[in-house]
Amino acid sequence: MKSPRDYVIENNEPATMRSEQIFFDDPAVDRVMGVLFSLAQEHYVLHDRVRALEELLVEKGVVSAEALNAPPRDEAAAHRDAAEFAEALLRPILGVQTAKGLTGRFSLARGKAQ
Amino acid sequence: MNERSFNAGQRFLLAAKQYWTTKMYTQLRREYEDKCKQLGVEPKTVSEVAEITENLTLYHFFAWFERHLQIGKYAGRYGLVPYYAERRQEVLKEIDTVPEGDPILELNPDMKMPLYYEATDIHQHPGGVWSDDTAGLVYQHGARTTTPLLGAAHEDLHYRFAEEIAAGGTPTAVLDMACGFGKTTLPLAIRFPEAQVVGVDLAAPCLRVAAHNARAKGLKNVRFKQADAIETGLESGSVDLVTSSMFLHEVPPRYIEKVLDEAARVLKPGGRMVHLDFYYFPDAFARFLHYGHGRRNNEPYMQPLAELDLPEMMRERGFTDIEIRPFKESPDADSKTAWRFPWTYISARKAA
Repeated sequence: MKSPRDYVIENNEPATMRSEQIFFDDPAVDRVMGVLFSLAQEHYVLHDRVRALEELLVEKGVVSAEALNAPPRDEAAAHRDAAEFAEALLRPILGVQTAKGLTGRFSLARGKAQ
Repeated sequence: MNERSFNAGQRFLLAAKQYWTTKMYTQLRREYEDKCKQLGVEPKTVSEVAEITENLTLYHFFAWFERHLQIGKYAGRYGLVPYYAERRQEVLKEIDTVPEGDPILELNPDMKMPLYYEATDIHQHPGGVWSDDTAGLVYQHGARTTTPLLGAAHEDLHYRFAEEIAAGGTPTAVLDMACGFGKTTLPLAIRFPEAQVVGVDLAAPCLRVAAHNARAKGLKNVRFKQADAIETGLESGSVDLVTSSMFLHEVPPRYIEKVLDEAARVLKPGGRMVHLDFYYFPDAFARFLHYGHGRRNNEPYMQPLAELDLPEMMRERGFTDIEIRPFKESPDADSKTAWRFPWTYISARKAA
């Protein structure tokens, strides 16, 4: 069994020279999680700023709270918009191409010398 | 970054941390217990817990979030480090309230930092708490959410710590080791107004914040000195209380031996030493998360501290009346509903 102190680092290597910790079976997931979580935070910050704007607009009498919260004027257009958004978000999961080309995974590691 | 966006970004991280501390933790614990039941095992060691937990999908997320929420808090787009860096001049001016030569603050520009201290950016704070002028403010701000469920009451635990110390007697001279920005030093100075309190720390940026805070509170019985806790420069037998909070787990075991030596040296006969720290969980699952936290949050000496025989080390140095017991960081802290650190009250007396 490893000593509990094996993970202790006692040299002054800079942070950028140390690889980030890995928690998932595939380290790619760790990195994608990082991207996603940054986006989630950005989304919340924007949400907060929109709310600030809305509150201010209502307070100044530029718009009414009822008008802000009213249903879309064109229900069908709203559905089309939601569908486009959902497709853009989820299409990558299908794993198919958008322009014709080679398929699958490739490696340049094997075969004759290049 | 503007103030509102910074606050929103940090609020989001805190909310996520609260979710992690409660919902994600309790679900993980439930899955672990179910798995143990299913396998008919009762793990007693951290390794046995790891064999089971590290195969749970939720654990991968739990561990990832623990590390990365902290990265976001300090170094992200809405992190504390960039926030204070952008406001460097104005925030440093705000705490620049200690007149030159005022004995409340004694800095040592020639201070050499120990290698262990430079090798790890503690708490994932880039550059640590010592290398940038704004680091003390960053650390002070960050400490508000170390225990995310405490919210605005995060300072209370230091006052309750001072209160527990008071139950054992009233000191006249106090040394607070590794005092940082004075989170415990100030409550001690307030609780014991007749005592002279000295806080020592390696980090000048933290000491500047501490001295500013003390002046802002009008405290006359406290001063701060830049010094290593193992070599405080205080006279032998000059204090009757030595304290520290959340310090021992941040230094290698070989340093803890020297910390105890220094405490024994500066204490008067019959004086007390009291540390508030994260020590040992009897429960193997909690211990597994605690040791993992040490690795994930750049606090590599957490596990070594928990595995030290502190009572024996204290006895070897002539300490008596050794008392090691759990400390509640808040009156309603409950390990069943939320992840908690092994808060521990560690007290001993130098033989009279």
